[in-house]
Amino acid sequence: MTLKDTYDAIIIGAGHNGLTLGAYLARSGLEVLVLERRHEEGGGLCSEEVTQPGFVHNIHANYHTFVDMAPPVADLDVRGHGVEYVRPEVQMASIYDDGTALTIHTDMDKTLASMARFSEKDAATFQRLYGEAHGFVDLLLGTLMYQPPLSVKELTKALATFGVEDRSEFLSVKLRRETINQFLNRHFENDKIKAHLAFHGAVCSYTNDVAGLAIGYPLLVGKIDNWHLCVGGSHRLAHALWRDLAQHGGVMWSDADVTDIIVEGGRAVGVKTAGGLELHARKLVASTVSVEQTLLEFVNPKEIPDELSQRVKSEVVHKDWSLFSVHMAMRTFPEYKAAEFDPDVNRAWVVNLGIDSIERLNADWKSIRAGNLVDPQPNAAVNSLYDPVDAPEGCTTGLLRQFAPFALADGGEGAWDDMGRWYGQKCIDAWRRYAPNLTDDEIIDWSVFTPHDIARKLPNMVRGDWMMGEISLANMLDQRPLPELGQYRTPIDGLYMAGSTQHPHGFITFGPGYNALQVIADDLGIEKWWSRI
Amino acid sequence: MAVATYDAIVVGAGHNGLETAAYLQRAGLSTLVIERRHEEGGGVNTEEAVLPGFRHNMHASYMEFFDIIPMIPDFDLEDCGLRSLTPENQCGIAFSDGRPPIVLHRNDRYELDHASIAQYSKADADTWIEIKKRTFDFGDMIAIGIYNPPNPATQGMQGQLLEGMFGDMGVRAHYSTKTPKTVIDELYESAEMRTLLYRTSVEFGVPLDQTGSGGHIFTSIPWQVGRWRMALGGTHTLAKAMMQACYREGVELLENTMVDKIIVEDGRAAGVVTRHGEFRANKVIACNADVRQVLVDMVGPDNLDPLIYKRAKDFRYGPSGVLATPALCIYDPPAYKSARWDPDIDKCFYTVVGYDQPEDVARYVRDAHAGHLPEPAAGTWVNTLWDPSQAPPGRHAATGWFFFPMASYFTAEEWAAIRVEYMEEFLLRWGDFAPNMNHDNVIAMKLYTPDLMERKNLMWEGDCLLGEMAVDQTGANRPFPEVADYRLTIDGLYNCGPSGYPGGGVHAAPGYNAYKVIAQDLGLPAPGPEGRAY
Amino acid sequence: MPDVYTPEWYEAVKSAINDRVATLASVPVDEFTIAVEIVGDGRTPYVAEGDVRRFLIRLEGGTCAWYRELDADDPSVKLDYRFTGPGSDFDAIAAGLADPIDAALSGTIRVKGDMRFLMRQAEMVQVLLEAYSQGVETTWPKGRPPYDGVS
Repeated sequence: MTLKDTYDAIIIGAGHNGLTLGAYLARSGLEVLVLERRHEEGGGLCSEEVTQPGFVHNIHANYHTFVDMAPPVADLDVRGHGVEYVRPEVQMASIYDDGTALTIHTDMDKTLASMARFSEKDAATFQRLYGEAHGFVDLLLGTLMYQPPLSVKELTKALATFGVEDRSEFLSVKLRRETINQFLNRHFENDKIKAHLAFHGAVCSYTNDVAGLAIGYPLLVGKIDNWHLCVGGSHRLAHALWRDLAQHGGVMWSDADVTDIIVEGGRAVGVKTAGGLELHARKLVASTVSVEQTLLEFVNPKEIPDELSQRVKSEVVHKDWSLFSVHMAMRTFPEYKAAEFDPDVNRAWVVNLGIDSIERLNADWKSIRAGNLVDPQPNAAVNSLYDPVDAPEGCTTGLLRQFAPFALADGGEGAWDDMGRWYGQKCIDAWRRYAPNLTDDEIIDWSVFTPHDIARKLPNMVRGDWMMGEISLANMLDQRPLPELGQYRTPIDGLYMAGSTQHPHGFITFGPGYNALQVIADDLGIEKWWSRI
Repeated sequence: MAVATYDAIVVGAGHNGLETAAYLQRAGLSTLVIERRHEEGGGVNTEEAVLPGFRHNMHASYMEFFDIIPMIPDFDLEDCGLRSLTPENQCGIAFSDGRPPIVLHRNDRYELDHASIAQYSKADADTWIEIKKRTFDFGDMIAIGIYNPPNPATQGMQGQLLEGMFGDMGVRAHYSTKTPKTVIDELYESAEMRTLLYRTSVEFGVPLDQTGSGGHIFTSIPWQVGRWRMALGGTHTLAKAMMQACYREGVELLENTMVDKIIVEDGRAAGVVTRHGEFRANKVIACNADVRQVLVDMVGPDNLDPLIYKRAKDFRYGPSGVLATPALCIYDPPAYKSARWDPDIDKCFYTVVGYDQPEDVARYVRDAHAGHLPEPAAGTWVNTLWDPSQAPPGRHAATGWFFFPMASYFTAEEWAAIRVEYMEEFLLRWGDFAPNMNHDNVIAMKLYTPDLMERKNLMWEGDCLLGEMAVDQTGANRPFPEVADYRLTIDGLYNCGPSGYPGGGVHAAPGYNAYKVIAQDLGLPAPGPEGRAY
Repeated sequence: MPDVYTPEWYEAVKSAINDRVATLASVPVDEFTIAVEIVGDGRTPYVAEGDVRRFLIRLEGGTCAWYRELDADDPSVKLDYRFTGPGSDFDAIAAGLADPIDAALSGTIRVKGDMRFLMRQAEMVQVLLEAYSQGVETTWPKGRPPYDGVS
C-alpha cells in the first residue's frame, strides 16, 4: 500500500479556520489534506479532562459569539454534525465590591432593568446604543467580517458618502481616534456600568485603553447578549468540521508537523513534515498558523523578499497581555453574596469579579504590560449551569480567567511554571471572596493553564497571543498582519494565509478561513456555491 | 417520538465500536455511534495530562497487532493518518545493582537477543531463540484464531497444538494447563530472564499463578515481543484514523451522550434512550460498552432470561489487568546503571524497572491482586526517544504501567493520597535503577489511578481488559458461554466490545468478529476481501 | 405619471438612473444583477400578505440595461445582490418618505451579496438609490404611503 501523497490543496493547521477552508474546498470537489501538528484537531477548540475524568474543560476557546451569523455554520451543516449550542439566559454579570451586581440577559428588558438600578440615564443610553447597533450589526459584521477586508480609508469614505455619521449616534468615523474608555466616558455616567462595558471590550480582546478600538465597540455591544456555549466542550465543533471535511472526501492527519513549504519556480507545490513525508499540492497550500512559522520557518528565506522577512520579524505585533486560566472540578455551583442584590448572578454564565471602575482596569493594564501579576480579579465561567454533560452528575466545572503578562518581569515566561499554582490559588481565593460557599471541600481538583502554556500547547499563538496578532487600528482589516499579506495571498503563488493572523482575527469567527476561501475561489475559478444569492 | 432512526446503532466509540460501525456502514446500513465521552477512542487515548505539549498514552501503549488488524488495510487507515514505528530494541530489564540488562530486539535483529540473554545463561538464550524462530510465521494462525468468533469445539485443543509446534523441544500438551510461572521456571534457569518474563506475562492480565495459562509463554509473548509498535503521535492516532474512516463511510458519531436504556420490543432490540430522546435502530444495536453495563443497566431483568441476567451481573472485573499509569514530563531520558554493559537498555521501547529478582514480580502481583499497594515497579515507555513530537523540543515524556489493586479497594480520598505518595516512592525506586531519575530531572508528574480509569472510560475497577481473563471468562467462555458468539440473546442486540472474545487489548478483534456475526445474521457481505481466512 | 411597480414605472426608474449616472465623473465598468424582493407585510396594498414580488435589475457599466418581474427565482440568472424587505418599507422609499440607507442600517431591508463593491462604489450606489427614491413622479392607485396605522 503506497501512501497517497498528492492532493489538490494542503492546509497547514486543523484549527477551526483550517478545517472550515478544507471542508468548503472538499465540498467544491478538491482533494484536500489538512495537516495538524498536535494529536488532536481543533487548535483552540480543545476540551480536555485536565482535572479529573468526567470534567470536560475548555482549555482555550469557551465563548462562541458568531454562530448565528458565520456562514459556515449553515453551509457546513455544523448543527447537523452534532454540535449543540446553548445561549445562556443570563449571559454575563459583574459583581462589585459593595455587594451590588449588574447582569446581562438575553432578554434586553432585564438587562436594562439591571442597569437602571445603577443609572436610568445609562440604561436609556445603552438601549439606544444596543438598538442602533443591533440594527446594523448583521449588515456591518457581515460586510466587515465575512469578506476579504476593505481598507479603513475605503470604509471611512463610504460611510461619509452614505452620510452614516448623520444617521447614527454611534457609528461616527470619529471613533477611529478614540479608546473604548473615551467612548464610554462620553456616553455613560455610572462607573460600574462603564467598568462592565470596558471589561466586556477587553474580554473580546478590544483592550479598553487602546486608541482607535472604539471603532469596533458598537459592534461588540450589538453581540453582547449573543454568547453561545458549545455543549460537551468546544472540541465538539472541531469534530463537526472535521466530519464535514471527511464526509466530502477530505482528510485530516493529526501528528503531522509541517517543517517546510516546498516552493518551485516561485510557486508553493507541497510541504514536508517532521516525520519525513513529502506531500504535494497541485493547486494550493494554505497556512493557518502564525506568520512567523509560515514565512520564517517553513519557507526557504530565498523565496520571499528580504524586506518582507524583515517586516515579519519587526512589524508583526502581538498582544501585550495574555490570559491565565484556572480549570476547576467542583461539587457545587457558586452562590454569590451579591445574589442578595440580584439573584440572577447565580445563573450568570460568566461573572466578572470586583472590577468597579475603568480606573481599576487601566491600572491593571499598566501593571500587566510591565510584566507584573496583578491582584487577581478574574472572570468566572461556570459552564455546568448550562451544559448538562460537562461534569459528572452533581458536579460542576469552573473556569477562572485573569488578564496576565506573557513574560513576567521577574524571570520571563519560564517563571510561570513556578508561579502557576500560587497564582491559581490566589484566583480561587478571589472567587471565594464573592462566593464563600466554594470552600476547599467543594473543590475536587484544579489545574492551571498559564500564558506560557498557551504558547507551548498552541505555538501559533506566539507569546500567548490568543488573537494571533494585536488588535489595534494599525493591525486591522487589510493591514492585518501586514499590508502585503492582508488579502490572504502571499508573494508566493499558490500559498495563502487562512488563519487568525488574518482579518478579522482570532476567536471562533470562522472569518479568516471563510474569507481566504473567497480569494482562493477567485484565483482558481471555483464556483462559489456557498454564496448563491 | 424518536429523534432519529438508523439501521444500526453502536453504543460506545472505543476502537472496537468504531470498527463495527465502519463495516456496518460500508455494508449499506446507516449507522450511528453514541459515545458517552467528548472524545472517541476509549482506552486508545493520548492526552496532555500533565503539561501542555507532553503527550501521554493513558491506557493502551504498545501495538502488537498492527500487522494483522484487518481494519487497517480494509479502510486504508494509513491514508487516514495512521503512522507507526517498530523500535529496534523492544523490551528490556534493568537492575538496580547495575548488572547487565537483558534486551530483546525487533524481529529483524532477533539474533541479538541471544548474546543479551547468554550473559546469564546460554541455555536460556538457546531456548528463547528456538521458540522465537518458530513464532515468526504465527501471524496467520493468530489472526485466524482471534479474527473469528471463538470455537467451543477447539477450546480444549491448545495443548495438542502446543505439542505439535514445540514437541521436539520436549513440550507436552499438559504445559497448557500449567501456570505461567511454572512454565517460565521450567524453560528458563536464570533469575534475570525469569524476572523479565514474569513481568511480560503479567502484561496480558494473566496472574502468574493462574493454571491453564502456561501456553502463552510459548506463543503470545515470543510472537509479540519483536513486533511491538508505537503509534506515532500517540496511541490516539489510531482512534483518529478510525474516526476518519467512519466519517468517510458516512457513519454518524454522537458524543457527550450516555445511553440510558436499550429499548426491547417484542423480543427485539429496537432503540436506545438518551438525554436527547429515543434513537431507533431498524436492524442492529451493537455494544462496545461492557456486557454487565449493557445487560444489567441498559436492558434490565425484564427482558432477559434470569440466568443470562445473573451471568451478566456476575461477570468479574479485575483483579488482574487493573492498571495505574504514571505520566512524567522529564528533561532527559532515564540513564540506567545497567547501560554500561549494553547501551541499548537506554533506548529500549519497553523497559522493566523495579524488580531485581523473580520473586519481586511474584510478590508485586500477589500484593496488587490482594488489594495491597505493591512495592513500586513498572514497565515503562519513553516514546519521545523515537517520536520527538510527543514532547516539546529537547524534552521527554515517559509513561508506565503499574498493576494495582482494584479501584474499590480504596476510598476516593485514599486514592488521592496514593496519587501523590506512591508516585514519589516510584520515582525514588526508579532512581535506584537510573540515577538521573530524580526531582531535578522531572518537570512534572502525575499518577493516573484505577479509580480515575474507571470513571474516565467505565473500565470497572480500573480493569483495562474489561473483564478478568480467567479460564471461565476467556475463549468460548467470554464473557459467558451463552453469549460468547456476540449475540446477546435479544434479537438484534450484539456485543462488539472487549468483554467479548478475545478480550481487551488493541487488536480490534471483538469489533471485527461482532460484525461477522451480524453479517451472517443479516446476509451482509463478509468484512474482508474474498479468500481471507479471517 | 406611472403607477408604482408597473412596467412604465420601472421604465421611468431606469431612465432616472441612466440620466443621473451620466452625470458622474467616473462609473464602474462592472456588470451585475440585483434582485429586489418586496414582501407583502399586510400593510402595503401592492403585494398580498405573505406574497413576494421579485424584480430583477441588470446594471451594466452603471446604467440599467434591463429589468424584469419574475414569479419565482430563476436559477439560470446569477445574482450579485439581493435586497429583501417589507412592502410598506419599499413603498415608503419609492415615495421618497424613507431613506434606503437607514432601512439597510436598521436591518429593515436585508442586503445579501459582496458588500465590498457597494462600499467602494458608494457614490454610484447613492445615485441609484436617489433615482429609485426620488427620481420618478409616481402615482399610487391603491393609496399612498404612509398608510393608515403606518408611522
